[in-house]
Amino acid sequence: MRRLTKEELAQYNGKDGAPAYIAYEGKVYDVSHSFLWQKGRHQVLHTAGIDLTTELDTAPHGANMLERFPVIGMLIDTR
Amino acid sequence: MAKVAREMVEKAGVNVDELLELLIKNAAAELTTFYYYTILRANLIGLEGEGIKEIAEAARIEDRNHFEALVPRIYELGGKLPDDMREFHDMSACPPANLPVDPTDVKAILTVLVEAERCAVRGYTHMCNITAGKDHRTYALSLAILNEEIEHESWFSEFLGEGPSGHFIRRGETSPFVRPFMPSA
Repeated sequence: MRRLTKEELAQYNGKDGAPAYIAYEGKVYDVSHSFLWQKGRHQVLHTAGIDLTTELDTAPHGANMLERFPVIGMLIDTR
Repeated sequence: MAKVAREMVEKAGVNVDELLELLIKNAAAELTTFYYYTILRANLIGLEGEGIKEIAEAARIEDRNHFEALVPRIYELGGKLPDDMREFHDMSACPPANLPVDPTDVKAILTVLVEAERCAVRGYTHMCNITAGKDHRTYALSLAILNEEIEHESWFSEFLGEGPSGHFIRRGETSPFVRPFMPSA
């Protein structure tokens, strides 16, 4: 499984043809083909290329929604 | 635009441009859902489909009513609908409620319907959360729509065998919650 740092993840922001990846609890998901993540934006407020673990707590849906997307790697915590 | 009305929402700490984008995306979801539900309803045929056709029609009309109710608020806050309807379609807050691969599969159609309603429930729950106590008009409108979307979800969920919805389908006029917000009502 591929391992990405936060800096590497930031490149996959869905802009200018780049794939859109998001991270949640250490897993990196490919949301590029989701209608709801067009150009790396989700419902106005969220962008791809970042770790959304904290933000999901305030979302009107649970982490089970991520099960629809392929896991393409693991996020390396570089702290 | 209602200049002071917008100022009040800004003063309350709401990012009005973000709120407008959400309102427009949800309005797009309502109008596109109205379109796609027309196709779904047309395909609810036969003994199995006929029973669901009426309830799909009630949800379809109410989603159109939601679009009608949202439009004035968008303009009041200084926003506007996109000039290009194709752009409007593609910015929808919810995925298209496309006819399933097998259009005779009533359960598959019901699954499309319930997922569309669930997306709407999440969307308006979020709108209520960000406007509560700050933008009273958008909150009231979002809450009214949310009430109807919850009922839509529960109807389709019941037909899918997920348990009782707790209430009856509409008898008489549609949109009991949203009707006061509709400009044509």
